[in-house]
Amino acid sequence: MLGLKFLAIMRRDLKKLMRNPVTLLSVILMPIVYLVIMGNSFQGQLKHLPIVVVQQDDGLYARRIVEQLLALQSGPKTVDITFENDPGAAMNEVRDGRFKGVVVIPPDFSHAVAEGRIAQIGLFTDNVDEISSETIESALDQATATVKIAFVTAREPKLNDISLRPNWLFPYVDYDRSLIPGVIVMAIFMGSLMSGVFNWVMDQFMGVTEGYLVTPLSRWDIAGGILASGVVVTSTAGVLVLFLGLLITGGRILGGPTALAMLIGIIVITATGLLAMTFALLGRAGHPRLVGTFAGFLNVILFFPSGAIYPVESFPPWLRAFAHFNPETHSVSAIKQILFKGADFTAVSGDIAFLLVFMALMLVLASMSFKRTL
Amino acid sequence: MEPESPAIQTKELTKRFGTFTAVDKVSFEVRRGEVFGLLGPNGAGKTTVVRMLTTLLAPSEGHATVAGFDVVRYPRQVRKNIGVIPQALTSDLDLTGWENVDIYGEFFGLSRRQRRERGHRLLQMVGLSERANDLVATYSGGMRRRLEIARGLIHSPDVLFLDEPTIGLDPQSRRAVWDLLETLRKESEITISLTTHYMDEAESLCDRIAIVDAGKIIALDTPTGLKSMVPGADRIDLVVEKNPDAIADMLRPMPYLRAVNRDGGNRLQLSANDGAHAIPKVLEAVDGAGGRVTSITVQKLSLEDVFIHFTGRTLRDEPAKKVSMLVGAGMPQHR
Repeated sequence: MLGLKFLAIMRRDLKKLMRNPVTLLSVILMPIVYLVIMGNSFQGQLKHLPIVVVQQDDGLYARRIVEQLLALQSGPKTVDITFENDPGAAMNEVRDGRFKGVVVIPPDFSHAVAEGRIAQIGLFTDNVDEISSETIESALDQATATVKIAFVTAREPKLNDISLRPNWLFPYVDYDRSLIPGVIVMAIFMGSLMSGVFNWVMDQFMGVTEGYLVTPLSRWDIAGGILASGVVVTSTAGVLVLFLGLLITGGRILGGPTALAMLIGIIVITATGLLAMTFALLGRAGHPRLVGTFAGFLNVILFFPSGAIYPVESFPPWLRAFAHFNPETHSVSAIKQILFKGADFTAVSGDIAFLLVFMALMLVLASMSFKRTL
Repeated sequence: MEPESPAIQTKELTKRFGTFTAVDKVSFEVRRGEVFGLLGPNGAGKTTVVRMLTTLLAPSEGHATVAGFDVVRYPRQVRKNIGVIPQALTSDLDLTGWENVDIYGEFFGLSRRQRRERGHRLLQMVGLSERANDLVATYSGGMRRRLEIARGLIHSPDVLFLDEPTIGLDPQSRRAVWDLLETLRKESEITISLTTHYMDEAESLCDRIAIVDAGKIIALDTPTGLKSMVPGADRIDLVVEKNPDAIADMLRPMPYLRAVNRDGGNRLQLSANDGAHAIPKVLEAVDGAGGRVTSITVQKLSLEDVFIHFTGRTLRDEPAKKVSMLVGAGMPQHR
């Protein structure tokens, strides 16, 4: 019928879709998965924020403040409290990323309250994680409000030889700059899909690999070559995004060349691990369409629960458990600590160890799934 | 290549895909320096034979050696000694012609100097020197095929496998590929295995041809030998002035003729094993019977006639292949 020939094209496309259930399924199921993952990755109530309380005063008001904080721990579970005597050691633990903040109740706190003087409680937070920092401050506000005392945060510029801004342990990181680690990891992920497994599946689709399989190239030559080129492309993309991000947001790398070397190392390890993972998962995909479909899916389920945008502490327990085994979580965490806190190797050794184990495991799985046949 | 060994040797080579037998106990030998053709209809098993010989598929049964090396036990040695031009165009579109050839040379461990010398010579031979630095994405199908022949020869292989090298090419490109293969045949001692279903290609290029059907070799000989296998291989078209029926009846018992048929009007169609020898006798017989021949021509049986004789006229439907329930049609070259 004149003018309705588009119906033929429509029918053709519908038939093709119906004969590719994975694509069809992705249209229906993936938004649901996205909803569950993304819905739980944003704006959740932060819980179990690890803080250190240094209680130097055993007076009435100090005890009441601590009681209120313990109530926040057992009730809404906003904080997980550890007691420490040495404020310097406590702050080092925040610097190392083990705690999100330190509450220091000074020796004359109860006296000052009793005498009507301004009583000070020191609050030192990991301001790199702005959302957690604000939550802890708000929790402390709540605790002090209930004992009806005037509360002013510490303004001391120095404490136990640690030079700090008033209540921040680290230089100010604005929202845009705080996204840099996430953007780097996303660049690595996208690069790992586009340069590694996608190239391989596309080469198979185009018939190019048949020409390679009849040469003396071994399985290791082919897999190693694809992986190595992927690592070069992906790592370069990650490093470029790092510098572009700093250029755009006006930041710098704390810790100088050593920190830069560590950042590049983490980028390379993450890239290798993710490339191997995508190979293990999609190396035998029968069609580039499948790689494209899974690329979006994997990106969402790995990126949003990584803590790149919203803290892991806001996730429900199941998502937090997933985040714990998510390589992107450890990559984002390590990059954040080095980039914004100037953390040394010890502080990020846990994350690096996880990334190395993940990389080794994925390389083994990828080599098992890679076959040197048509 | 191992000294004195045949270039290719198969013994009861078999390949099964599930319950379907694609290649069924195929045995043949190809001498060194020979151009050997595998001729057969679609789905006959030609490509499967080549894929086993080029180590892409493992045989289900039987043995095969290429360049003196067992394809199962020494696949790496086999690959070092063969050049393969697969049926699908496999040159990399994102690379230039030169880069395709150069990288392939690297796969075979050639030095930079060797690659440069051989690569440029081969690109010149296939007529692509001027386009060597253009992306393959800008090449026509014929140019890609010529490039792939150059690429397949970069390491000076002992045996060159060409699987349907001219499929889908225009007549000019086909001729160019044929000329290339002719040049190779004359100027080197390379052994060529050519898979095709084009009769003229097989006839003009191959020293010997194996006709493959339903996974089996049903005839193997030189093109001339294959033709002589068909009884009444020469066709004589005869036009007489009058009485065609009587002349036909008179000719039928003649021992040098295999068949005599009326072909409308005063035209007769005769078949003979040796047409050139039969013509004077036919003329003599017609004259002796008081008839008069208006015209007489002899036509040799074509390879296509031979092919149809051996394989029949039935159309071949390939067995249904697996299509993924998840992603639909899947890889095109695996279909």
